[in-house]
Amino acid sequence: MARYVPAGLVALLLLGPFLALFVRWLTGPDNLSLMAFINRSTLLLVGKSLLLSGTVALLASFLGTVCGFLFYRLKLTGKGFYKLALLLPLLVPPYIYAVAWRDGFQWLSGNSAVSSPEAGMIIVHTLVYFPLAMLITGTALSQIHSGLEEAGLMRVSFAGMLAKIVLPLIRPALTISFLLILIISLSDFSVPAFFGVNTFTTEIFTQFSAFYNHQLAIGQSFLLVLLCLTLLLSENRYLSDAPFFSVHVKGSKTKHYPVNKGRTFLHILLWIFLSIVLVLPVVMLFHQALSGREIFFSRAWDLLGPTIFQSAKLAFSGALLISFTGLWVGYMKERYRFPHLNTMFLLTFIIPSTVLGVAIIKFYNHPGANFIYTSITILLIAYVARFGFIAARIIGNGIKQLPGSLEEAARVIGIPPVKRFFSISIPLLLPSLFTAFVLSFVLCLGELGTTIMIYPPGTELMPVKIFTIGANAPLALTSSMTLISFGVTLFIILIFFLAAKIIFNRFRYD
Amino acid sequence: MVILTGCRNSPDKVVVYCTVDQVFSEPVLRDFEEKTGISVRAVFDTEETKSTGVMNRLIAEKENLQCDLFWSGDPLRNVVLQSRGITASYRSGQTALIPAYFKEKENHWIGFSARARVLIYNKTMIPPGALPHSILDFTLPRYKGQFAIANPLFGTTTFHVAALFSVLGYETAEQWMEELKNNQVIVAASNGDVKKSVMNGEVAFGLTDTDDAFEAKKESNDVGTLFLDQQQGGIGTLIMPNALSLIKDSPNSENGKKLMDYLLSRETEAKLAASCAQMPLIKGTEVPATVPSLDHIIPMKIDYRKTAVQLEKIQPWLKKWVEE
Repeated sequence: MARYVPAGLVALLLLGPFLALFVRWLTGPDNLSLMAFINRSTLLLVGKSLLLSGTVALLASFLGTVCGFLFYRLKLTGKGFYKLALLLPLLVPPYIYAVAWRDGFQWLSGNSAVSSPEAGMIIVHTLVYFPLAMLITGTALSQIHSGLEEAGLMRVSFAGMLAKIVLPLIRPALTISFLLILIISLSDFSVPAFFGVNTFTTEIFTQFSAFYNHQLAIGQSFLLVLLCLTLLLSENRYLSDAPFFSVHVKGSKTKHYPVNKGRTFLHILLWIFLSIVLVLPVVMLFHQALSGREIFFSRAWDLLGPTIFQSAKLAFSGALLISFTGLWVGYMKERYRFPHLNTMFLLTFIIPSTVLGVAIIKFYNHPGANFIYTSITILLIAYVARFGFIAARIIGNGIKQLPGSLEEAARVIGIPPVKRFFSISIPLLLPSLFTAFVLSFVLCLGELGTTIMIYPPGTELMPVKIFTIGANAPLALTSSMTLISFGVTLFIILIFFLAAKIIFNRFRYD
Repeated sequence: MVILTGCRNSPDKVVVYCTVDQVFSEPVLRDFEEKTGISVRAVFDTEETKSTGVMNRLIAEKENLQCDLFWSGDPLRNVVLQSRGITASYRSGQTALIPAYFKEKENHWIGFSARARVLIYNKTMIPPGALPHSILDFTLPRYKGQFAIANPLFGTTTFHVAALFSVLGYETAEQWMEELKNNQVIVAASNGDVKKSVMNGEVAFGLTDTDDAFEAKKESNDVGTLFLDQQQGGIGTLIMPNALSLIKDSPNSENGKKLMDYLLSRETEAKLAASCAQMPLIKGTEVPATVPSLDHIIPMKIDYRKTAVQLEKIQPWLKKWVEE
């Protein structure tokens, strides 16, 4: 009973809006033609979107796996730097990244380097999302016990060992990274719209924004959700068992291979890749910021200044709440075999952001709930709904790696459950909690799709301001604002890392 | 406690949802705050990126409206809201100065400071003498692949296309759009992208709004502008006033009316003329020399309500046009 009451409350707060919207849709005025939109052209569009996002997921997973191997399994000088630098595109909104990257290529080539809009979308999505694959597969690679690889190397070549031992062992991580990127790419509107590619998500957006046809847009969104759910549930086994974003290896010994030949060549390749992924767009943003008729950094700071503290405070509160919820959901799933909360967060994770915004408005915008709807609480609810799943999986996998014997030993000597939890589990889970917190913070700080639909009037938030000011401001001002936002995010994350270092040292057991 | 603090029914505040670019609208709202002491709680969005947030928010909030005043960059959105029963009628004392043409007859929306559609061109790519003088000239072979328009499903371009369908008639306009496509028009994501493409020399010219063109001219000496169809007997260029609608059963409607009165004043029109070259509708308003006067532009003669209806009719066809 104790687990059902809070679970019911969370379901009401997070799943309630979505279910209520579903019921409204079913009982709406056009309920006789609910499925009328599922026709040949819709199915073709769904197929095209799957093909594009599937290509993105394939390329990003490949690049992520290669990088994961290089940075997690090789004795490579400067691998910490490469790893950190290649994660930075995650801090830039995909739309801004697309603009900077395309302009950068155009600047270098003298003309539009990307002739096909589809190619542009695939390249930008791949470069923005491959760091996720790098994290996931890198972690999986670092969890393979050295004994398995050494045994393999006695019989087959290095390449053979990779193909026959390593790849099969990280298959769950490859699958989850592929699916996660496929879903994130499928549900992104901004980059396809920028390149003028018609996808199922841009179709949903068009129904919302050009036709104001909520009934049809919501129906199409349910089709998208159903599609994503089918993909994810078909791989449920991998979802449950994959070392998804595990951040610390507990109790296994990993083999690190030296790089003897071609070290210089490898560094050159990595720098070329780093230039494409990070240096080019950042240099382009600086170029745009500084090449206007006036220097706009001061004005950009004046505009963004009032939003920074409010945005950071909100993202911090959101990240805390998400981490706490993730800990609870992960614990319920791994220790009490109660996976329903995890499934619920999976559902709210894959709902398109605009639909989530409409669902939240319809559910919370009542006189009795005005105290929620007109305050920033509504944003915190949206953040937990959008990103709770990621935190739950990061922390859940951390919990899964904790040896049960530690808690059992504590129980045998009579340590009460609460003390066991705070003295044993929490310190061991600190790396997972920290990663979930930082990732949630970054995601909350940059969230726009739902935020712009529900932010309380008068609230000033960084992503909304960059978005609305950027529409008609000089390019130099928009680029300056983006760079300031990038710098602020990086600065706050560095503070988190410094604080984490102190906390981790305090709780070290070795 | 701070988190849970709601903000409804405060006597000294007004909630405004605004699709006009924040960089221009926010200073005006701050001036109102300073002048009246009424706190303005604004939700900003931008028509450049389809006004999804504000419009869908207003429609979704219909059963418990939070907004007092809707400030739109063009009247079409107000017409949509009016048709859904979200706007209220309010005859501001200021409206006497606004020409009847820019007001809804039952005062569900009232126009002020206007923008116009304008041709923006890159002087290094095309000399002024070689420019088209009518929008209908865009289909001439010599301009093949050299020009851009924004996606006609969204923003002011959708308004412009609907107006052309009203003025030219369905068949002529449809044929013109097809010929436009055959002449390899580049469809950009937004008016801002059209401006950028022209400034960067990716295309020789494009269609955008006067405020975008004004910004482009501030950023580059290579950019020029031209009002189309200004010859005698020409169809004229589209004039798009800002439009204000009071929201039905809004929580702070009295303050909403005060803000509406303020925005409809000569003072506001002068500010918008200075900041983003918007053209005042009130005769005699002081404007900088760089701001064109409506007295010197031949406007496209349209009925805003009928154009909104036309838009609804042509949207499915436009969607196909964009996607094919």
